[in-house]
This record gives sequence, C-alpha cells and structure tokens, in this order.
Amino acid sequence: MQTAKLLANLKDSLAEQWTLAVFASYPEKSLPFLKTQRDPFTNPVASMIREAAGTLFEAIAGEDLDVEKVKTSLERFVKIRAVQEFTPSQAVGVIYLLKPLLRKELLPSMGSDLAGYLEMESRVDTLALLAFDMYMTDKERVAEIRVTEIRNQYAQLKRWAQHLNAQAPLGEFAGCGQS
Amino acid sequence: MAKLPTPQMLMASRPELPKESWLDIKPEFAPGSYCYPEKKETMELLHMPNPHDWDPSAEDWNLPENWEQILCDAFEERLQKHRSLKLFMDICVRCGACADKCHFFLGTNDPKNMPVLRAELLRSLYRRDHTMLGKLLGKKVGARDWDKSVVKELFYYAYQCTECRRCSLFCPYGIDTAEITAIVRELMHEVGLGTHWIMDPVKNCSFTGNHLGIKPHSFKEIVEMLADDCETVTGIRPKTPFNEKGHEILFITPSGDVFADPGIYTFMGYLLLFHELDLDYTFSTYASEGGNFGSFTSFNMAKKLNAKMYAEAERLGVKWILGGECGHMWRVVNQYMETYNGPTPPNMTIPKSPITGTVFKNAAATKMVHITEFTADLIRHGKIKLDPSRNDHIITTFHDSCNPARAMGLLEEPRYILKHVCNHFVEMPENTIREQTFCCGAGSGLNTEEIMELRMRSGMPRGNALRYVQQKYGVNHMACCCAIDRATLPPLANYWAPGVNVSGIHELVANALVMKGEAKRTMDLRQEDLPNVDADEAEAEEGR
Repeated sequence: MQTAKLLANLKDSLAEQWTLAVFASYPEKSLPFLKTQRDPFTNPVASMIREAAGTLFEAIAGEDLDVEKVKTSLERFVKIRAVQEFTPSQAVGVIYLLKPLLRKELLPSMGSDLAGYLEMESRVDTLALLAFDMYMTDKERVAEIRVTEIRNQYAQLKRWAQHLNAQAPLGEFAGCGQS
Repeated sequence: MAKLPTPQMLMASRPELPKESWLDIKPEFAPGSYCYPEKKETMELLHMPNPHDWDPSAEDWNLPENWEQILCDAFEERLQKHRSLKLFMDICVRCGACADKCHFFLGTNDPKNMPVLRAELLRSLYRRDHTMLGKLLGKKVGARDWDKSVVKELFYYAYQCTECRRCSLFCPYGIDTAEITAIVRELMHEVGLGTHWIMDPVKNCSFTGNHLGIKPHSFKEIVEMLADDCETVTGIRPKTPFNEKGHEILFITPSGDVFADPGIYTFMGYLLLFHELDLDYTFSTYASEGGNFGSFTSFNMAKKLNAKMYAEAERLGVKWILGGECGHMWRVVNQYMETYNGPTPPNMTIPKSPITGTVFKNAAATKMVHITEFTADLIRHGKIKLDPSRNDHIITTFHDSCNPARAMGLLEEPRYILKHVCNHFVEMPENTIREQTFCCGAGSGLNTEEIMELRMRSGMPRGNALRYVQQKYGVNHMACCCAIDRATLPPLANYWAPGVNVSGIHELVANALVMKGEAKRTMDLRQEDLPNVDADEAEAEEGR
C-alpha cells in the first residue's frame, strides 16, 4: 500500500518523464512537435504514448486493473511501435525505461521496504511481457494482411480461371504436355 | 573484457543531440521501406529514359554515367516548363504550417516527411544552380550539391508521399507539394528509377487497357461473371454492353473493381443501377482503366493514358462520359484533362442526365460526370426506389478520398447518397474528414504489399480516427469512393480497427436499390445473409 501512496504523488511527474524518454526514441527534429500538440488526431503518436503512460503507472501502482483493460489501453501504443522502424527491443522495450525512473525517484523514499519495491518493479516486467505478446500479435497480423491482400488482388482472375477449367471439355486438355 | 549493453543502450536509437544536421542524416534502405524497382524490359518497352537493372538496397544503383548532367538538365527543363514549380521553389518561407499535416510525418515522425522539409530536399538543389545567393554562398544559404546519396534520398521520400495534398490545404501560399513530388518522380525516371507497382500497370494500361493486362475478351468474361453474381442475388441479370457504338454514355471506372475484392461489389452495384435505369451506355475494353497510373510517373505518361478516354469516346460516338468511383482519376480529369487532351471530340456534348434532365454544367469542359453526382441527382429527383433498412446492420462512416475531396470538392454528394441508402451514418472527427481528410496512406502507387508496415504507419492517422468512431459509436463499416481506397483501407482497418468492413458507395446503393421485378433479397451483394430476413419466407413468396 505504501508503494501505491508514494506512486500516487509521483505519478504525473513520472509519466511525463517516461513519455519524454519514449519521445527521445524519435528523431530530434520531430521532438518539438511531439511535445506540443495534444489533440489525439493532430498528434496521434504522442497521444498514444501518453495514453500508455497513464495506464502503465496505474498498473505499476497495483491499482485494480485487469489484464484486458491494460491491454486495451496499451493497444494503440504497441500497434504504432510495431510498424515503425524499430527493433523489437526498441519498440516495446521502452517499457523498461520505467525502471531507472522508479529507482531514481521512488526507491530512495521507500526506506526499508525492499520487498514492496521489488514487487512493484516486477509489475514492470509483467507489463513488458504483455506488450511483447501484443507486439507479436500485431506483427503476425501484418503478415496475414499481406497474404490476404495478394489473394484479394487477383480474386476474380482466379475464379475466372477456375470457371474456364470447369467449362472446357476434358478432351481439350488431353493433349497437354504431349509433343 | 566485453560487456553486455545496458537496456537503455539497446533502446536508445539516437544520441541526445545528433552531430549531423537533419539534411545530412540519410535514410536507410531497409526491406519494407521501399517499393520494388521496375524491370528493365518494361522500361524499354515504354521508351522510358535510361532503363537499367538496379536494386534499391544495393550501394550502387547503376546510374547512367552522366547522371548529374541528366538530372540538372531535366530539372532546368521543368523549371522552364512549369511556372508553378519555379514559384513553389521560390516562395516557401518555411513557416511550418504544413509540417505536421502529413500522414507520413505523423506516422513515421521522420522530419524529412514534413512536407516543407521533403520539398527542401529539392529546393536545396535548386538554390545551388538557380539563385544568386546559392551560387555565391552555397551551403551557408541552404544550397547543396548533387551526389548519389542525394538521388537515393529523393527517391526514398518521393515514394513516401501519396500526393494527397493535405499539406497544401494549410499552406498560406498554396504550395502544391504533390506537384513537387510528381516532379521529383519525373526526375528519378530520367535516370531510369521507377517502381514495379506503378510501371507494370502503366505498361498494361498502355498496351491492353486494364491495369493487369487482361485481354479484352477475358476482361469481358470476368464482367459477365459478375453479372451472373448479380443475378444470384437479385434474380435479375444486368446487361454488360462492351465496345458498342452509338450509345449516349461511355462508362469508365478503375479496372481494379473488376478484379479485386471488395471492389467487385461496387462494380456489381454499377451494373445493377444502370440496368434498373435502362441506361443507354457502353463499356470500353481499351479505356477500361479510369485510374491513371501515368500520373504517378510523369505528366507525359499521365497525358498518354488519359488520352484513351476521349479516343474511345470518339470511336464509340458517345455524347458524354460517366466516371466511376476512383480517386486520382478525378484529379487528372478535373485539373489536367482539358490541358492534356482537350478540347473534347466533336461528338461530345455537355452531359445531361437522361433520367432527370439535369445538365451537369460543372462538367462542361471535360464532359465527364462523377457517378456520385449522377446518383445523388437521381435520388434528389426520386428516380430510384431505395430500401435503406436492408443496410440496417451497418453503421457506416465515410472516408473522403483525397483526390475527389481536395482536387474536385466532391464532399456532399457521397454523403447525400449514403444518408439515403443507410439509416446509420456517423462522421469521423472533424479534423480528419472533408478537405482535411487523411489519406489511406498508400495512394499514388504505394499500395504494394512489400511496404505493408510503412502503409500501416502512414495510414495510421486515418486508422486512428476510424478506431475512435468504432469504439465510440459502434461503427462497423467505412464507405469510400476510390478504388485504391477499396484496396488499401481493408488492410488498414484490419490493423487499426478490426471488424470494420470497407466498401464503395454503389455497393450500398445496390443493396438498398429496389429493382423492378427483382426476387426478394435475402442476401447482400457479397452473398452474405441479410439479417432480419427469413430465407424460407422469401422462397415461399417467390413461389406464390
């Protein structure tokens, strides 16, 4: 409980620090834009990162959140990271950037409650694992989309070819392959 | 002693302050970030300059020996020819109004995808040779020299722009970044650099008619197969007139809608509507591709492919052309066609709807009417009977396709139709629709599967807005009036808002259309059961 109380006070500041750390994974010239605009449609990437930041800290504090709710809140964030030009560790590993923040800002004030701190830090691992599963689902979906698109592009051609085969009398193909 | 990197080291993708300026940070040609190159044979066949084999991921692109001279001359020539280009090079004050309006920038966060900086890639070269200050002071005033990495960079970013023109909307000077991109693509073609997904359809449209190069008789057979499907659904087999002389109207639509799911259902919608109206029209197999892949290549190629429309209108002796749901076809028609290939053949007259008598004065110059203008007019005059309750299982939104919205101002007609054929219509957020619409992320020849991740990030602003209305209002359908959208939005929706279906407008029109003598509808054009219809009851009714 002590963790939750301490974290409640620091939540906004930590969420902002983590958001800035994630922003730093984008090119320096794009930072001013990411930082300033707040509209979710004008600046969607920043909006996705901020949405994720809020949920991450609620989850770390041990608030009453089920896995599905956490996943829903992280979904847009993981989806965009999964299709941007990042390695897998860069894409979802940024969740681990919470640890140095927690160690710097929270650990000193937790006194002797090391077990409480470690329990909280383990929740970061849980979140990273959840995000990694979501990341893989997204990657697999992109692969599946690619296959479906190729299939759909020529869907009618294939149907037409099958239609022709069905119509052709057997004898017409009997000589195929013979000289 | 070797040490493992810290997590922070693994995750940091760049130093706090990069040493190089933004202009010197070069793109990496990683698989998935570029379209496949076109084959040398195709380029030769089309008489494109300097055809050669090359690989975008290779260090050496086998450019012709005098590549720099070719590019400088070609640029000079275009500056002379297009006054607009010279103006666009000179007048930008780098205010940044366009910077955050590009879906590629929003999705990639790559600064070179800010329209202002993407244009700066060319503008810096312009300064060196065409401005006094650039000639005297060079780099100090933002001029730079051509080198092979600059060519690569231009290619990379010219194919990370869908020429959607959202940025132009916000530019206080009205700079048309799409035209800058078009010029850069032209320059790339001068040294033999083109992409397969664009040039192969150019070849096919050029020689055969449709974008896949299917021969006329086969093309007709596929259309007849779709007419058979119409009969399965409605009990009525619509006519499929091809290359017939003496009709009033020539109908031209993207050939993608004949081959690809879900575009075929929009095509079936046209067949059924025209049959119900007993419209005096014909298709052409040669002008069977409304989309103009040439417009993604060069102005000359766009002109060449566009010429087929009037050539066929003249040969078949029609009075006017009705155009289907397509995107860039309408930019070409509305903004370039008259200059390219006008005036219209003498047999053509100002379009007049044979059903309502409405004269489409807006199409006086081109003699081409957009199908949504035509259908909205039919509905306005009560000339077709509609049962929107057949689409009651659908809560639809509308994606304004970039070109009809921004290049011809077609904003109301599609909505008017949708509201008459569907009972549930929801708009996406205001700053993502109408003139401000976000691109599907893969227009202008980028809807190829090798860059799927890129498409998912560049289409994210659209996907994000769709996801919002899906979650907030239960939207399960997105209508659009562009064949490229019908190809690109299903994957995008599948990624960002799974569960949302995509269709053209006329698929929904035909689903709601009550036809004379039709069988009771138990399924929609996709042959999926209509909810709330009892199939047995329908059969019994038919038997009576």
